Amino acid sequence: MIDRLDLIVIGAGPAGLSAAIASARCGLRVLVLDEFPRPGGRLLGQLHQEPDGFWWNGIKEAQQLVRQASENSVDIRTGVSVTALEQIGQTGWKIWTNRGPFSAKHVLIATGAAESACPLPGWTLPGVMSIGAAQVMTNVQRVRVGNRGVVVGMNVLSMAIVSELRLAGIELAAIVLPPKNPLNVRASDPGDVLRSLLRFAHLAPNALFRFGASFLGNSLMQRMALKLYPRRGIRMWNTPLQLRRSAVEIVGGSCVEGVRIADIDSEGVPIPGTERLIEADFVCIAGGLYPLAELAAVAGCPFRYAPELGGHVPAHDESMRTPLQGLYVAGNITGVESAKVAIAQGQVAGLSIAIDSGVPDSPTETELQTAMHRVKQMRRDALIQFDPDITACRNRMYGTNDAIG
Amino acid sequence: MGNTPFIVCRCEEVTLEQIIEVIERYHCSSRETKLRTRAGMGICGGRTCRPLIDRLTGQMDAEKAAYSLPLKVQPPVRPISFGEWGRGS
Ligand SMILES: Cc1cc2nc3c(=O)[nH]c(=O)nc-3n(C[C@H](O)[C@H](O)[C@H](O)COP(=O)(O)OP(=O)(O)OC[C@H]3O[C@@H](n4cnc5c(N)ncnc54)[C@H](O)[C@@H]3O)c2cc1C
Repeated sequence: MIDRLDLIVIGAGPAGLSAAIASARCGLRVLVLDEFPRPGGRLLGQLHQEPDGFWWNGIKEAQQLVRQASENSVDIRTGVSVTALEQIGQTGWKIWTNRGPFSAKHVLIATGAAESACPLPGWTLPGVMSIGAAQVMTNVQRVRVGNRGVVVGMNVLSMAIVSELRLAGIELAAIVLPPKNPLNVRASDPGDVLRSLLRFAHLAPNALFRFGASFLGNSLMQRMALKLYPRRGIRMWNTPLQLRRSAVEIVGGSCVEGVRIADIDSEGVPIPGTERLIEADFVCIAGGLYPLAELAAVAGCPFRYAPELGGHVPAHDESMRTPLQGLYVAGNITGVESAKVAIAQGQVAGLSIAIDSGVPDSPTETELQTAMHRVKQMRRDALIQFDPDITACRNRMYGTNDAIG
Repeated sequence: MGNTPFIVCRCEEVTLEQIIEVIERYHCSSRETKLRTRAGMGICGGRTCRPLIDRLTGQMDAEKAAYSLPLKVQPPVRPISFGEWGRGS
């Protein structure tokens, strides 16, 4: 069956799986490739409670998608890394992998997002990892990352993962800012960070919420909030969130032994004489996410730079088509958003591909419109907005408007 | 305080100081910085330090960079053996 494929999906995350399901339901023969040993992508690490009390368990969500894919005869292969792809005339695409080549008429790149580093002295010591790695070890591999950790970097992702590590009973000594250096300009600015955290006050345990709610929406008040923010931090999930302290360096001989931190002023500059050592045997670096678009670049797809979406994203329209014939994108490669948005985008891509294949059961234009509408709804209702201006940015990019109806 | 040298490109072991020195001396683009320092030319294909180099050269907002990646991506995008690479062609 391999030589008669209609679609190869690269990435078995929520976007890739839902696209595979949608197109297979229309009769397409679909192969999904993923380099991780298990399908599900970043869903596998996700575990959080929504405001209505529902527990979002990513492993269960992934199992459900995989089951639906199998029911529709989608072939999912894991442990396969795609290393390159090339357009072959008008007939389709050739894909190179560590398991040999594949070809198909259509390709969907749904490779998700990668974590940005925020380097600091000592970050190459064993025991330092990205916060996403700690999430995978804890929730997917069920391995204890260490006995006592320090998190460097405060953003919506690190907050979500800190709560997961705490649920697993892992001790975190502190969450501090990265040091101010040319690589970490905004992430080390306490005022900027506080403003972005206040947007998530509704997700946070009471302490930050009570502190934050009174300062929301007023920039003068927000400046005051920083002054009033306690030096020793506000405890969230029993871990001090130390907005007025930053890491200076990670110390240790052959592995992490601790993190040297310092009090900082309102610009993020360390105050001399305030250094102290926090003992720890692991450190999580949380530098945020950027769309993982390397394969789109290799394919020759043009890009758009949009900081609201996490950086450079492959050019695409609302139907998830790129300017290259037979090449589609969906999920976090088009901009960093939550898993439900990725699922909805995958459905759009699946329908577009089915329409372009001209199968007998081809979806109607109305069905595609409905699916695109659902993406907007999901975006509006998303629990986690990785950037406040995502909707405006998407509207600019797609030439659409806010109307959800 | 905070002046300890540290590595930015882990594969090629290039430090922040080395990269900044080259950028200041030659006022260079991300691509030229990569060629002069080898930062971003290692086995990971720049997955970790590519965005960092762009941040240092301030290239992301440049007119041209809006439509293409400042640093070209070369296949294979994952490290694989010559044997495996050869099987594809
Ligand atoms: C560390 C981390 C934590 C996150 N936590 C949350 C959270 O708590 N809540 C939330 O809503 N969102 C979270 N996100 C955002 C998350 O990316 C989306 O929610 C969602 O998983 C995106 O779906 P996707 O299908 O686009 O990509 P992903 O779920 O990232 O799936 C992409 C898949 O592509 C595969 N892949 C990539 N490159 C290749 C290649 N060359 N060859 C073969 N396979 C490849 C990967 O192995 C991966 O399985 C997180 C993201 C990251 C990176």
